[in-house]
Amino acid sequence: MYLILLSVFFPILSGLFLLIRYRMPLAKEKKNTDRKTLLTLTGCFLVITVLLCAAARSTAGNSFTLFYLTKTLPICFKIDEVGVLFSLLSSVVLPCAGFFSFEYMKHEEREGRYYGYYMIMFGVLNGLCFAGNLITFYLFFELLTLSSMPLVLHNGSREAIMAGLKYLFYSLCGAYGALYGIYFVCQNSDTLAFTAGGILKTSSVSQHGEFLLFTAFVMILGFGVKAGMFPMHAWLPTAHPVAPAPASAVLSAVIVKAGVLAICRIVYYVFGTGFLNDTWVQTVWIILTLVTVFMGSMLAYREPVLKKRLAYSTVSQISYILFGLAVMDADSLTGSLLHVLAHGFIKATLFLCAGAIIYKTGKTRVDELRGIGKEMPLTMWCYTFVSLGLIGIPPTGGFISKWYLSVGSLKSGLPIFSVLGPVILLISALLTAGYLLPLTINGFFPGADYDYTKLQKQEPCKLMTVPILFMTVLSLLIGLFPDAVTDYLANIVSAVL
Amino acid sequence: MGPNLLANYGEAVSAVLFCIGFTNLLLQNNLIKKIIGLNIMDSAIYLFLAEKGYIAGRVAPIVVDGVTSAESYINPIPSGLVLTGIVVSVSVTALMLSLTIRLYTRYHTLDLDEISTLLKKEGR
Amino acid sequence: MNFICNFPFFSILLSLFSGTVCSILPAKAAKAVNRIVILTTGILSAVLLVYLLDTGESFIYRMGHFPAPWGNEIRAGVLEAGMALFFCVIMYLSMAGGAHKLYGEVVESKHNLYYILVNLLLSSLLALIYTNDMFTAYVFVEINTISACGLIMIRQVGRTIEAAVRYMIMSLLGSGLLLFGLCIMYDLTGHLLMSNIKESVSLLVVTGEYQIPLIVSVALMCIGLCIKSALFPFHAWLPDAYGYSTVSSAAILSSLVSKGYIFLLIKMIYRVIGFDIFNSTRIIDMLFVFGLMGMIFGSLSAIKENDIRRMIAFSSVAQIGYIYMGFGIGTQTGMVASIFHILSHAATKSLLFIAAIGLTDVSGGSRRFVDLTGAAYRNKWAGVAFTVGSLSMVGVPLFSGFISKLLFAQAAVQVEGKMLASLIVLGISTVLNAIYFMKTVIRIYTSTQEDAYAGITFKSMKAYAVVLLFFILLNVILGVSSQPIVDMIEQGLVMFA
Repeated sequence: MYLILLSVFFPILSGLFLLIRYRMPLAKEKKNTDRKTLLTLTGCFLVITVLLCAAARSTAGNSFTLFYLTKTLPICFKIDEVGVLFSLLSSVVLPCAGFFSFEYMKHEEREGRYYGYYMIMFGVLNGLCFAGNLITFYLFFELLTLSSMPLVLHNGSREAIMAGLKYLFYSLCGAYGALYGIYFVCQNSDTLAFTAGGILKTSSVSQHGEFLLFTAFVMILGFGVKAGMFPMHAWLPTAHPVAPAPASAVLSAVIVKAGVLAICRIVYYVFGTGFLNDTWVQTVWIILTLVTVFMGSMLAYREPVLKKRLAYSTVSQISYILFGLAVMDADSLTGSLLHVLAHGFIKATLFLCAGAIIYKTGKTRVDELRGIGKEMPLTMWCYTFVSLGLIGIPPTGGFISKWYLSVGSLKSGLPIFSVLGPVILLISALLTAGYLLPLTINGFFPGADYDYTKLQKQEPCKLMTVPILFMTVLSLLIGLFPDAVTDYLANIVSAVL
Repeated sequence: MGPNLLANYGEAVSAVLFCIGFTNLLLQNNLIKKIIGLNIMDSAIYLFLAEKGYIAGRVAPIVVDGVTSAESYINPIPSGLVLTGIVVSVSVTALMLSLTIRLYTRYHTLDLDEISTLLKKEGR
Repeated sequence: MNFICNFPFFSILLSLFSGTVCSILPAKAAKAVNRIVILTTGILSAVLLVYLLDTGESFIYRMGHFPAPWGNEIRAGVLEAGMALFFCVIMYLSMAGGAHKLYGEVVESKHNLYYILVNLLLSSLLALIYTNDMFTAYVFVEINTISACGLIMIRQVGRTIEAAVRYMIMSLLGSGLLLFGLCIMYDLTGHLLMSNIKESVSLLVVTGEYQIPLIVSVALMCIGLCIKSALFPFHAWLPDAYGYSTVSSAAILSSLVSKGYIFLLIKMIYRVIGFDIFNSTRIIDMLFVFGLMGMIFGSLSAIKENDIRRMIAFSSVAQIGYIYMGFGIGTQTGMVASIFHILSHAATKSLLFIAAIGLTDVSGGSRRFVDLTGAAYRNKWAGVAFTVGSLSMVGVPLFSGFISKLLFAQAAVQVEGKMLASLIVLGISTVLNAIYFMKTVIRIYTSTQEDAYAGITFKSMKAYAVVLLFFILLNVILGVSSQPIVDMIEQGLVMFA
């Protein structure tokens, strides 16, 4: 039971320690030794946190009440299957990106601040995954915004600060939308604890049905801000690219998933599918996700800057997941949750690859990167493999999840959308190929006029390539052995539907 | 309405006076006129209290010729309130006047808006 | 009658006479007397609070043993004792936190005058809290005004004198209206003691006589107190008065003086008019509307402001709006939320003022945002404290502001007609709060290249840092263990009527 607390508070406290100890920029004369201790400490903290998480996850079904905020609102933690799934994602991606940044952040000032907030964010994410009721979840959701914001505005340029503010305001607006929902849910249910199938009182459902539907819609929209759902997606392509590359990998792969987790909790553990199925909320929500899928892909297709292109791609891919959640069918839900993992690994790898390219060559635009495959073969091979995964070409993880999504959508029997959904997913997959593969093609086949004499080997050091390689292999493994994951997901699906 | 107003003419007058004082305090630009408005406002309230405390045909509640029945005297509490009120209003007026003197020696004007613009020019 | 029942009377007289004593003491001794008096009154109130919690009912203390309709009375219950204790704590912390500024801003020979005014203010606040007599309340309202005006103008610059004049004019308008309303009430009921007036008023309501004068009198008193506590649109005097006076004054004025009037209004609502009778008039709708408008317009003005002290001052307008909105909701829970917000706002706003002075001190004394860049690195304690205050104002969970928002929302949800308006405005105002407070926090944590101003070390401001620590603790305590306090407020309100 104390494992949960440890896994949440150890990283937060260690982050605070780093923040206080390495508050100022490292002094020039002692920079090397200081930096070494800082990195060793951070590395140890990351590893310990991962171990703690693993230990906490192994005690599934455990719950723990910390204290009572007010009489009816306890702050409590509970480990359930969905939480375990999301925490698995974060405890793979965060250490990988963390080790990557050891090299990437070498020339940055104020590394201590970066790692400090990084650790705090890790702890907050664990708290979010293991939150046992709505109010605890909200608490960590707010803290997540606050702890991830410093990563966005890390380099302190005007552009970064504006992006950070934009991120903050969008997130806060969303969170308050959600908070109102919480007030009403509080009014119409006996408890706020997450329970599969919903917690609404039957008397309130019959009495305030319409009103509760509206509440659910506001909450989905509010939490959807974090997941970059149309119409509140604009912060994402602004905020993600300005962060340092490993931070944007975490933002795109894990932080946006917090929004997904939130909506998953709302729909399946607070309102219940029985209440929301076949209502206008579901219809509008599906329309929004499909619009986002299509729009995100189109915008990514037209975007010349690599990191921005990847950010738009996140917008579109996250809405795949939301579409699966919105359809509320067993297969589509499996697909969604599988895509959470697949997209997490893939997008983190893509951003890390982009980071490695920027770190070595300093080039940010796609059209500048001709011949990059000859210069950094390992990085570009990883990039290519995960791109194929994101497009959805078998036998990659992306293929399996999209397969489940489409099958679920067709089986659901919703009017129009059961067919329209897969069609849009297909178009978007084509667009995905259109915006990801040119880099591979130009990178490996720069064309006849390319000056091969200028070419030099630029492969980054092991600290960068190993995390990339590790996550590429993971994303491939999901595709090769999907049964291990889907069997696990079957538990969740059968519980909530 | 009409006969009531006529019967309670004292109260009506004090209400009108109160309004005059109030608007003066609120709207006049000149600080001295504002203070005069304040005094009119306060006096109006004392008039109101005195009017309420007075009962026709009775005398001030001071026992001189051995008459001890309460019937022959007016209500003393409003008079006490008026006295307290006067003390308060005198001290407030003194404070306002001293502030006005401070401002006048500094800015050589009694107009509050003018002082504001001067302050903005000063830039502090 | 127990000896402890004398304590309210003792504490009023103690602070009143110590004020007189201060006038002949040298500055150092006056300061010591002032601190000791505040501490003693605090301890007396704490003992009284414990005693009242034990007995569970309020008591009436007759001054000079004259029986009810003629004598002057003090009445103390849990709410009064708790409020007195809280005011003493805030006042002590504000005085201690701003003490070092006093030397720079006030002429040395006038220091003892300053302590006279503070003692007078304390005694008038205590009298406003404890008295059971309307006319006594009026007299102490005036004493409060005079001493508050003195606190503003003790720093002799043009702005403060002008601000003091404007403050006096608005206050006098308010007290004029209060006095007139009071006289009409006396005329109608023939009593000055609150409990006697209430009996007569309920009799008048039952018989249906003198309805219009009754409403007029209540409305006059309400408007008078609204003007004095700077409810929108009567707030024009506030930013200058809080923005330019010496820092202890600003903290005390914003957190205590306006709260004293609000407390008197609560007393009037419960003790003089009766909660139900008051709620059946249209006056509460008026309070509700102006409260809502204050919440929005106060924040809007704060956003436009380019001066940190004035920004915090404008934020007070918004927060006072919250309190009046709670009155306007017109239920017991709304009232509890308002009273909790009085505490929460007092704790937070004085913290912000005291922290802001630390930030401006290390920025060459300038309060403009441009100069404040990076101030939090130069004065770490002030930076942390300001961040905590801002987070509390924005309403992040674990700080006091969140609980008061939660209580307001829970109160609003129960009233059909006012629910939507209050929730929407609460949301807008929260987002606006976030805009200007988080903007400031990011600004003070943005590092500058050149070190234009010198930093400050912990040793040179030990007392200041300890005060900030206490303020932060107070905020967190209010935010984390709010339930006992809310229970106490509820118990106090029951005793109140």
